[in-house]
Amino acid sequence: MTGQIARTLGASLRYEFRMQFRKRSVWIVPALTVGLFLLIGGSLLRDLFDPGEQPAEARTAVVALAVQLHALLSIGYGCLLADRLIRDDRLRVTPILDATPAPSGARLVGKYLGAGAATAVPILVVYFGLAAAYAVHAGAPHALGWALAACGVVIVPGLLFVAAFALVVPLTMPAPLFRVIFVGYWLWGNVVGPDMMPTLARTLIHPLGGYPLDALLDFHGIDGDDTWAGPVPGATLNFLRPDPTATTAWLSIAVLLLLAAAALAGGHVVRTRRA
Amino acid sequence: MRPMTLWRYEARRAGWTALLGPPVAVALGVAAALANPRPGDTTTARILLGALEMAVPLATGVACASLVGRDPAVELQLAVPTPYRVTLLRRMTVTLGWAAVVAGLTAAVLIATGWWERWPANHGPFAGQLTWAAPTIGLGAAGFAAGAVFRSPAAGGALVTTLWTIQEFFADLVQQHLPGRLLYLFATTRGAVPGDWTENRLALLGAAAAFVVLAYVVLARSERLIGEEDE
Repeated sequence: MTGQIARTLGASLRYEFRMQFRKRSVWIVPALTVGLFLLIGGSLLRDLFDPGEQPAEARTAVVALAVQLHALLSIGYGCLLADRLIRDDRLRVTPILDATPAPSGARLVGKYLGAGAATAVPILVVYFGLAAAYAVHAGAPHALGWALAACGVVIVPGLLFVAAFALVVPLTMPAPLFRVIFVGYWLWGNVVGPDMMPTLARTLIHPLGGYPLDALLDFHGIDGDDTWAGPVPGATLNFLRPDPTATTAWLSIAVLLLLAAAALAGGHVVRTRRA
Repeated sequence: MRPMTLWRYEARRAGWTALLGPPVAVALGVAAALANPRPGDTTTARILLGALEMAVPLATGVACASLVGRDPAVELQLAVPTPYRVTLLRRMTVTLGWAAVVAGLTAAVLIATGWWERWPANHGPFAGQLTWAAPTIGLGAAGFAAGAVFRSPAAGGALVTTLWTIQEFFADLVQQHLPGRLLYLFATTRGAVPGDWTENRLALLGAAAAFVVLAYVVLARSERLIGEEDE
């Protein structure tokens, strides 16, 4: 049984990865996003290579780059993944797949990891490409180490969180409507100030990675005077905003991954009930 | 087919997002305005106008981006006397028309209750309607063109949402240069140079016309739509 689950997971992961990796829009959307960003004069993309403007520390430069790209490219990432799960129903292949000995839970996890990883490839290519160019330009090879760290504790957990909801929520509403609501959520739950309205920004549930940025990467904005996590006087939901420490940073990552797993489990239940 | 039946059919084919998007957008915007604890009516009025200028265009833009590629049997559409691109334009008209009804009614309520004029940069009850009309038509046309060019609601929707987010996140950066200022979607609630407002609204409408023409030209080769995966 375990062997069957592992084989199914591996096979659907590889298949979903290849299918998504070869999809044109997975490459066009991030490319156009970065193009638009350059067109408006994306401050950091330009400043990174300007000796007069670039941040003093290599760590600040590559972590700030991670934040900007993560905030922007995750939008397209979520939108592109929104049709992956409902697609099986639309193409009417679900009953055929259900008739095979491959367990549906393992297929779902394989699809999640495979399609999620493939859609993340262009984002990581852009990020590590720019980080490597910066490392060469600034003569700071350790920048790549920081880029790997930022990717591991900020970008990957954030994308895993987004991917789970992007797959599952369109089971309950049309995919385009999910895209609208997802963008609204991304703005509200990541960047709206907690003094403006009740928001999940700066809480443990922060896919932009406030806690890891603050406590693990010691990043406080490009100018060093921003905080990205922790309580705000007078704001609601402050009970979700403990002081940022290494422990709470790992806790924040764990909460994101747990919520992603819960979303997938919920989606699995919905699908089995419908079948 | 009687015209009413036809339009009712097109409204159904435009999908649930086109129907639910604008009212959901207005509802979320009003909820955000109510939840805002900052004192003074100006901020609340700004969020209320922001619901019309930001949320409604986003919902409409994504709905318009999802029009191409929805029909399960495109071959059938290509075989009827009405060109498929005319059918798609009708659905875009329905989508924009419904958004206009929702936004227009909301604006009327805001004007009647006095919230409209509590935002100092409002442009009166009549020309001020361009607050929502210009960005809604602009982003809707951009979405429709993206959907037509890439023949994929996923790509079209992703591009509309990204364009919208860039303008939200990097408002100052976008407005540093005149072209960016003229095409900035949120010139009423987040505009940096109030004197540019009329030009900005007209530029958005002009860009919308260009996008619709682009989509219409691209869709002329509608046989390319056959075999494209829907969604």
